[in-house]
Amino acid sequence: MKRGLMLWILAVGLPCTVAGQIGMYQHGSVVRMQMGDCMLAHHGMMVAFGPPAAQVQDSCPEYTLVATNVVYVIVGKSSNQLIPLAEVIDFRLHRNELDVRVDDAKHESKFFIKEMVVRSEWERMQRHIEQQMKAAEVREAER
Amino acid sequence: MYKFLGTVLLCSWLSLLIPMFLVTTIYPRDLLELHASSQTAQQFTYHSSPSEVRLVFFATDEQNRHIESIHRDDFAVLDNGWVIRNFRSFAHAGLIKLDVVLLIDASDSVRPRFRKEIDSVLNLISQWPWNPGDNVSVMSFRGMEPQMVCDGNCRTWFTSDHVGSLSIGGATPLFDAVTLAAGFLNGRRRPDVWPVMIVFSDGNDTISKASFTSALKKVMAGEEQIYAIDLGNASRPSEGTTILQRMAESSGGRFLPFSDGADRILSEVMDDLHSGLLVTYALPESTSEFHSVRILPTHNLNLQFRCRRGYYRPFSDGVRQEDVP
Repeated sequence: MKRGLMLWILAVGLPCTVAGQIGMYQHGSVVRMQMGDCMLAHHGMMVAFGPPAAQVQDSCPEYTLVATNVVYVIVGKSSNQLIPLAEVIDFRLHRNELDVRVDDAKHESKFFIKEMVVRSEWERMQRHIEQQMKAAEVREAER
Repeated sequence: MYKFLGTVLLCSWLSLLIPMFLVTTIYPRDLLELHASSQTAQQFTYHSSPSEVRLVFFATDEQNRHIESIHRDDFAVLDNGWVIRNFRSFAHAGLIKLDVVLLIDASDSVRPRFRKEIDSVLNLISQWPWNPGDNVSVMSFRGMEPQMVCDGNCRTWFTSDHVGSLSIGGATPLFDAVTLAAGFLNGRRRPDVWPVMIVFSDGNDTISKASFTSALKKVMAGEEQIYAIDLGNASRPSEGTTILQRMAESSGGRFLPFSDGADRILSEVMDDLHSGLLVTYALPESTSEFHSVRILPTHNLNLQFRCRRGYYRPFSDGVRQEDVP
């Protein structure tokens, strides 16, 4: 009976763990990080109907995460919510949030999704900005 | 009972096999896309330019103890918010020569602690394990303007015999002294030299022509690092304390209260300068004059990094931007 129970636990637990580790996560790279408005993090009933004190302006980390096909701009829920800036990070979309796997801490860190852009469109915008900057630099040098 | 367990077992294994099947059929395509996309992403993140950014920084653990076994893939630089992981070089800063200017506040406000202040400076000069190429200069400030006491040769020249020649009293031209010292260090700047200012003062400027902001900009433009030793009353922090703290933090240096004692100050500064790390990377393309800089860990979030708050973009011909408005 005991052995059967062990087998059952193993059989149920193993697929979840394995699937979680190999199948569920997408991969991406953080290319930009800046401190931004936390208002997104304080959205909801407290902001809409709560006293003015609830609408405290704070700064939260905002990351640009480049994934295979989509570029996400995600915002942390507190000022000290950091993502390790490794070359490749694992994340998954879960209940309208983006959960980043923090390897060393063995847990997930949850972020609000502020923007989602198709990667090709984002790359086109970056190229445009880059060209603008180069042109400005040339103008500056000519002056 | 066993029939029931058998059914559960079968369902569980099916729930394993189906995702496995999906993963094995979809994953290779994703992997190929990821490989291609990571190459594309690099086009936007890393740029090359004739100039490079040099950044001295310090790594500590959560207990604020220095860590020297840092590797180049343990951290990333945030330059104006862009993540930089592609470094041109990474080395121990202890290998570079030091160019140190010691600034001594000799104004009226620090008169009661002046003797101790001088003893600390003498200790610092005599006990420091200087390397052959290191330079140390001493500048005092009081009255209307700062005055260079000895220039580069203070290791042999500035002894207790010469201390008597220093005048005491008058107003505190701290910002003028910092501006002058920054210009002095910048004037003889070489790539293999690490410019450092050690400021002994209460931080309460009373007469400078330069403002705090302009003095700090000069320091930031010259990439000097300030160690601020607060001679003020530790039990009653003044505006001067805040000024010294801001100078130290912005330049990537440290703020140390004089009340900690000369020995502690000496060991803290020495320990700090010996554990410095130096990273260089290509200057990112940007139109902004000032680049904010921050260093963050790539794996271990318990690591903490300290460096200057930013740098001023040099001109394309390599001339450093001196007179920032």
